Amino acid sequence: MLGKKIKNGNIEDTLNRFLKDDQHLVLGFEKGENGVSLRAFKNYLDHYSLLNPIFSTNGALHLRRLFSKGTKIILMLRPCEIRAYIELIKLNQIEREDIIAVSIDCFGALSSKDKTDDIPAEADQLREYFKKTDTMRWACKVCRERRGVVGDAGIRIDRDGLFWAFSYTEKGDSFLSLIEGEPEESRTEMLMSGSEKQDQFQNDMKTFSKDFAKCTMCMNCRDMCPVCYCIDCVFNGDEYLPKGDALLNKILRSGPVQLPQGKELFHFIRMYHVSQTCVGCGACEEACPQGIPLTKYFKGISERLQGMFSYMSGRSFDESIPYLTFLEDELKNAED
Amino acid sequence: MLQDKAEKNPEIIGFACSYCTFKASEMAGSLRMKYPEGVKLIQVPCSSRVDPAFVIKAIFEGADGVFVAGCHPGDCHFIKGNYFTRRKIAALKEMFDAFSMKDKLRLFWVSAAEARRFIDKVTTMYNEIKERKNVREKN
Ligand code: SF4
Ligand code: SF4
Ligand code: SF4
Repeated sequence: MLGKKIKNGNIEDTLNRFLKDDQHLVLGFEKGENGVSLRAFKNYLDHYSLLNPIFSTNGALHLRRLFSKGTKIILMLRPCEIRAYIELIKLNQIEREDIIAVSIDCFGALSSKDKTDDIPAEADQLREYFKKTDTMRWACKVCRERRGVVGDAGIRIDRDGLFWAFSYTEKGDSFLSLIEGEPEESRTEMLMSGSEKQDQFQNDMKTFSKDFAKCTMCMNCRDMCPVCYCIDCVFNGDEYLPKGDALLNKILRSGPVQLPQGKELFHFIRMYHVSQTCVGCGACEEACPQGIPLTKYFKGISERLQGMFSYMSGRSFDESIPYLTFLEDELKNAED
Repeated sequence: MLQDKAEKNPEIIGFACSYCTFKASEMAGSLRMKYPEGVKLIQVPCSSRVDPAFVIKAIFEGADGVFVAGCHPGDCHFIKGNYFTRRKIAALKEMFDAFSMKDKLRLFWVSAAEARRFIDKVTTMYNEIKERKNVREKN
């Protein structure tokens, strides 16, 4: 494949050149005293880090309802973040015209809740680190796409440890043209190959009750999910989860309830609502104060339901979200 | 006799499109055909109006079964609503299947003229769920 080789410091120079314009922004990672974190850069890059080995939120979360044209933005994010960004475009939550989305090969990440002070942010060291310890988040261990192959362009690492930039769309071409040097054929294989297929998710209500026993219904998982985007969520009013008088009436009408109520309701409905758009990033689990294994459920269900339509969230800009389209002749076995 | 009393009657919620299945249920009524009392119909303007959230709510708030019913594919009053219904409900069934509760949900196509088909579909569903429910409660 034709790409551009990235020499040391090359990416920083490229992004810095881009940032000279006052109307240009870069969303990427920053190395700070307290580890690596997400940062929106303006004017120049400071302590830029290509990789982010610590997962706290999904960067696409911050792009929801971004409609302004005229400000050019380059996203330098993980594949799961770019995939969520792509799903949000399909849901009309982002105007993509002035955004260039670059996905970067990802070696996995630690949870921000874990001890993170000794984790390196360089590719080769990070690989060694994860070989030695078993601290990688579960979501990353079973990640569906950790290669920088989604979005407008990708940063990939080959087997010799060299970095490459590849373009996938016209906007990707313009990103590559910002990088110094001429495009060349990459002959070495890339370090990272596609992910293994996971077993189909299967569960039962008993295990569900056990796993969610400690859920407090704080709804952080919903709020931190990049693709759970409804402004007027069904769980905000009294219809699904009544409070106060409405709750009292419900109890008087239909009997005692355990409080907090509606765990099944909340998680099942959310699981369904994000079933085609969930990118399996595990931001929900990361946000959960109670340590509920949310990724297992949300990633599991979404992969199973996406599989029915040979769909994969965020894989391409053009594939329609399955619930928004249909074939006249299909799914006969769903009819009773 | 005692045995009979102990038998549990299921409750089934049906979301019925007002252009077809709901009409069929009205026709069944005017023809004095009977269907089980435990079947409660909710009229919707089109089967595609049914957000799977409604189905999930019905199930976790006590319904033993839920069906979504609309016009036969190709006959939707809104031209293609029921094709979306089929996708959404098929996916919901798959999700229920993952939690071993697929038997709780059904999808019917019943036109306004098919009163007999309506009675057959809901009665069969009712009886099967009743049987399963009582087997489960005896064990
Ligand atoms: S889920 Fe995948 S892409 Fe996201 S941080 Fe983990 S390994 Fe990287
Ligand atoms: S449900 Fe969880 S894993 Fe899926 S996209 Fe939302 S935050 Fe990520
Ligand atoms: S974040 Fe955790 S505790 Fe809060 S609602 Fe979600 S699963 Fe429950």
